[in-house]
Amino acid sequence: MSDSLVSVLTALADDELILGHRHSEWTGFAPHIEEDVAFSSIAQDEIGHAAAYYSIIASVTGGNVDRLAFGREPSEYRNAILCERDNDDWAYSLARHWLYDHADAIRLEGLEGTAHDQLRALVNKMRREERYHLIHADAWMKRVAHGPIEGRTKLIDAITNAYDDATALFEPFELEEDAIKQGWVVVPSDELRRRFVDRIAGILDELGIPMHFHKRADTSAEFVASSSGDLIASDGQNGQVEPAHDGFGGRRGRRSPEFGALWDDMTSMYRAHPGASW
Amino acid sequence: MSTRTTEDAVWDALRSVLDPEIPAVSVVDMGMIEDVKVEGAHAHVTFLPTFTGCPAIAVIEDDIRAGVKNVGGVEEVTVTPSFDPPWTTARITEEGRAKLKDFGLAPPTGEGPVLITQIGLPEVAICPFCGSKNTRNDNAFGPTPCRALYYCESCRNPFEQFKPI
Repeated sequence: MSDSLVSVLTALADDELILGHRHSEWTGFAPHIEEDVAFSSIAQDEIGHAAAYYSIIASVTGGNVDRLAFGREPSEYRNAILCERDNDDWAYSLARHWLYDHADAIRLEGLEGTAHDQLRALVNKMRREERYHLIHADAWMKRVAHGPIEGRTKLIDAITNAYDDATALFEPFELEEDAIKQGWVVVPSDELRRRFVDRIAGILDELGIPMHFHKRADTSAEFVASSSGDLIASDGQNGQVEPAHDGFGGRRGRRSPEFGALWDDMTSMYRAHPGASW
Repeated sequence: MSTRTTEDAVWDALRSVLDPEIPAVSVVDMGMIEDVKVEGAHAHVTFLPTFTGCPAIAVIEDDIRAGVKNVGGVEEVTVTPSFDPPWTTARITEEGRAKLKDFGLAPPTGEGPVLITQIGLPEVAICPFCGSKNTRNDNAFGPTPCRALYYCESCRNPFEQFKPI
């Protein structure tokens, strides 16, 4: 019964931890001092949220928060692949931050009715903090979208690169059916993904940004554009419909090559001093 | 005639437990104490962390435990952090707001409970140094999760505001 709860919480926590780690890589390196502060602070929020999710897992399984965060093998993480991608350039980091925080807002809204009291309280708390992430991301999108052509072009390319990965944030959780049955999760991931695609399309339309990525379906016979605009491929075996691209599979433990260096860095202290008390 | 209980003494002790990041205000001024219960010699304190990712949570927990342990009649202290209800800036007392201002940190704007739909970056924060409203926001974030950066156009000082949540 609690397995599906742990599955959902692990995915949510790992998203926040891994993206928080990526954001923290801008500390000292952002192109603007205020952004150095902003990305560092957002990283701190996300890692704090991860710790809060892990502590609920620990209270259910008797595990340890540090071990959950840093003591697992790469294949045991369940974050969406979007979160582990290299920061690349500033445009990609902004595009990912914007896509992720809108996705996170949609999924937290969906979790407001969870049957798990501690999770519901945490969601309510986190949503207040996450508002600042959205304000930040939206302000940058507007600024760059309405700015000089070079930045605007880079931003459009970055959104195009990150978009498919972002839809995979809504790849169903392992044991999602049971999680819904138990009431831990209220809104199925497929429905959340539709809400996300609609919301992003609406904002891009307002910003006057053309959505090249929806046309990519035309270039491959295996892919079709779903009614909601994202790429899907039909699996003839069991009739399941899944987005088909290489950013998919994170919820089942598939890791991209970029994860290795991140994991080495993120867990190095924990592995160097096993059992240390901080 | 009032009888001072051990619970009253615990509340008094908590008024001396300071926020480690803003040592001008106590955890009571900040509205972080949700509940105090004393059963025999066992004190239970429920506190609400201000921000989920606040690195000071463990320190505050320890400080509360140490402070309450000194209260006569208390032998054991259990401190429980909770997000239910969520801590919001509406919980900061009037005294707490005055102390924040004296500390050089602009108190959060807005009155009453801050609803999630109303949270935004206020256009104006009041400069804690000269009282001017002619200020601009330079950053929605700051040196800690709970602070935003502002600049006062009147007295030309940079300052920080406790972010309304």
